[in-house]
Amino acid sequence: MVLTLVIAPLLFVALAGVLQLGALRVAVARVRAAADLATLVAVNDQDDAELAKSGSLRLSADAADVARQYFARELELSSSLLDGGADAIAAAADIAAYLSAPAYDTRTGARYERPTVRIAAQVPVRTPVFGALVLRPVTTVEVLSVSSPR
Amino acid sequence: MTKSLRGDRGLATLETTFAITILVPLLFSILEFGSALERWLAQDAAAVQAARYAGELGGDAPELHRFVGDELRAAGIDPDGVRVEVAPSRVGWREPVRVSLSSAYPISIPFLFSTTVPLRSSAISRGEVNR
Repeated sequence: MVLTLVIAPLLFVALAGVLQLGALRVAVARVRAAADLATLVAVNDQDDAELAKSGSLRLSADAADVARQYFARELELSSSLLDGGADAIAAAADIAAYLSAPAYDTRTGARYERPTVRIAAQVPVRTPVFGALVLRPVTTVEVLSVSSPR
Repeated sequence: MTKSLRGDRGLATLETTFAITILVPLLFSILEFGSALERWLAQDAAAVQAARYAGELGGDAPELHRFVGDELRAAGIDPDGVRVEVAPSRVGWREPVRVSLSSAYPISIPFLFSTTVPLRSSAISRGEVNR
């Protein structure tokens, strides 16, 4: 009886931790998908005039703005999981568009052989159960997404 | 001696009953909620792929519903229990299109409760059809 009473609270804490960890995994997957979709949407937007003139792929001049706009839209769909506004998180993200190739990414050191859009962001996710367990109530998810057309 | 043994046996039965009524719901909670989270992740992934495809198709189309059905089946989810919404149903070049998948996942915890948890997944893409 005593053993059960001692172990039960520990198991409840373990259950709460497991559920929070699961919810965090869902949040991380959503944030990654948000960044991936935003970069994909941005690279799909080609400079039509350049394509018609030279036949080479070149990103539209507003590719970085489009990526930021769609990153905010995708994050807005998961706003209940985030600690902060989707617009503010997207505004703070480091988004770079390399309109023509080859190009070097000063942040990652990568060399891109095709026009590329890259998003690097830190997204704060609410983890209230971790907070109640004397851990961090907000977990920052680092996301890096890179897309190029082919 | 006999009295003492009978008393011990009674205590052990009481202890086991107490342990089962606490431990079984806990164990089932971990299994059921874990399974619900796994399904939510799979549904989210299907929503992202569906949004990309809806952008390529320029909105809602029978091919999209077939695609979503295949994606869900591949993830072990019955497509009949998932509602698919595409808004707006027809988009042009550079217009945003949103795909939402919603379903209800039944959760049953012995000795506590049985309920259904709503799972909603949405993703936005951009129309790629120049009409």
